[in-house]
Amino acid sequence: MAEPKKRYGMAIDLERCLGCWTCAVVCKAENNVPMGLWWNRVLTRGGDGMDMPSGTYPDLEMSYLPLSCQHCEDAPCAKVCPTGATHIRNDGVVLIDYDKCIGCRYCMAACPYGVRVFNWAQPQRIPDFDYGYAAARPKGVVEKCTFCVQRLDQGLDPACVVSCPAQARIFGDLNDPESTVSKAIRERGGQRLKEEKGTKPKVFYLSQRRRQSL
Amino acid sequence: MTGKVVYRLWLGLLIALMALGFSAWIYQLVHGLTVTGLNNVVSWGLYITAFMYFVGLSAGGLIVVAGAQLAGLHQFRQLSRLAVILSAASITVAASFVLPDLGHPERAYRILISGQLYSPLVWDVVVITTYLTIACIDLWLLSRPHESDRALTVMALVSLPVAVLVHSITAWVFGLLVSRPFWNTPLLAPLFISSALVSGLALLIVVATVLNRLRLIRVDGEILRSLAKLAAVFISIDLFFLFAEVLTAVASNVPDHKDQTMLLLNGKFAKYFWPEVILGGVVPFFVMAIPRTRNNGTLVSIAAVLALGGIALKRLNILAASITLPLIQFPPGQTGGREVAPGATFWFRTGDYFPTWVEWSIAAGIVALGAFLVTMGVRYLVERPAPEVSTLPAGQPAGGR
Repeated sequence: MAEPKKRYGMAIDLERCLGCWTCAVVCKAENNVPMGLWWNRVLTRGGDGMDMPSGTYPDLEMSYLPLSCQHCEDAPCAKVCPTGATHIRNDGVVLIDYDKCIGCRYCMAACPYGVRVFNWAQPQRIPDFDYGYAAARPKGVVEKCTFCVQRLDQGLDPACVVSCPAQARIFGDLNDPESTVSKAIRERGGQRLKEEKGTKPKVFYLSQRRRQSL
Repeated sequence: MTGKVVYRLWLGLLIALMALGFSAWIYQLVHGLTVTGLNNVVSWGLYITAFMYFVGLSAGGLIVVAGAQLAGLHQFRQLSRLAVILSAASITVAASFVLPDLGHPERAYRILISGQLYSPLVWDVVVITTYLTIACIDLWLLSRPHESDRALTVMALVSLPVAVLVHSITAWVFGLLVSRPFWNTPLLAPLFISSALVSGLALLIVVATVLNRLRLIRVDGEILRSLAKLAAVFISIDLFFLFAEVLTAVASNVPDHKDQTMLLLNGKFAKYFWPEVILGGVVPFFVMAIPRTRNNGTLVSIAAVLALGGIALKRLNILAASITLPLIQFPPGQTGGREVAPGATFWFRTGDYFPTWVEWSIAAGIVALGAFLVTMGVRYLVERPAPEVSTLPAGQPAGGR
């Protein structure tokens, strides 16, 4: 009997996120992301700069929004890709075939989340530092988060999930109603970014249960 | 200077510009698109703006030829070859502008062999190729010793829907993206058609006037006046569409859509938007609509040049309004994607872009290629007017007829 089809997804607990950027830095190392590009960023929701709250003391508010590819079910990037380089794998992971990418950057215009980055020059990595398990990309192609596909294929969770010191990320099979991620999304009312765009992301955000005052 | 010297200087200039553009492209291929001003936020710039603009410029030819053929306006025949040459050259220029925008132009053939049919870019490649083919067939039909009225009518019936599609699909390349509120409006395709008609006709008026003054072709003033009248109609439609779009965005107050529109009305791009509307729209409209000014060939040409500039700014504004304002702008933002000077930030919450000398050089080279094609077309495919019965005696002004 064939194994039931998997549909990978992630939940990010905004109540637990510290804004420490560990996931972002680990992502760079794991995925061989060149200098000047990030697949995963931790944005600050609050004031005008990183780690800056909004409001005036003592009524301040601030939270973090970790942002990377949302692996949309109805992915606008995959729809517009003229060569099919960007495609949605059977398990729902949105991937780029770097050999097919012509570098037109139509996907970057199409992505509502702004998570795609382009290799404008020959990618540069910190000299003599052999890092990463994902194959290096050439110049002239677009790249982005792959849910650490090289780890998924070994049965491991993405690097950002296992490295999060606050354990704010939960990864798993959205098709399995009993998986930790499905339960968390159900119980905590997981929300998706720019839901109104109809892209159906597979990254869910679990909102804060209590108002945080600083 | 004799005509021959001027002609050679002109060809020399075009060839020099093409060489410059080609060398700049080689330089860009070696170093990557990092030599452009583009970045991860503003990922499309001068090349794509020019692509949009030149697709629009191609409208004039087929409209004059196909429209006139179907309406039975045979007096336009004297302009038909020039018009089709301009169309073919413009669409070639437009297609050429896509190539330097690609990170891997050597893989572009993949669009043809394994194009992904959901992608509006693939539709655009198909329709632009079709359009160019139609223009070439038209040119062949028009260049035969005996024009076949029947064949021209058939071609007109085929080419009009293709002409409508070429501008609509180019609009849909942008307009079907949910990520870009300012583009994502059903009005974008009609707006692209009206802008294309304005710029296409304006180009035809300018080139026809110049060639007429150089005595390289013969155009009746009456024909130019009818073209100007038609352009005035299209300018008013174009301005109306723009007004409808801006009013809807501002009055509906949908956050992202309004923000991007306000960027044009009183933001960063207001300095391009208002010249587009006033100098490139309202002014040429009145010059071409009022009979007294329309009868003045020089004024009409100036108005046509203004309209050409207005539509160029319009393309720029359409691209810029949407692409510089991402939907998610929380700090620190997106990375620019290239090395920066120490101390400078490479994080951008909104877009910042200006074309570099590489982009300008490549653009100049491609435009020169278009001008070269038009020059060759006019030289070899357009009939020279018969010399005047008796050439004017030296010293007598030529405009006295």
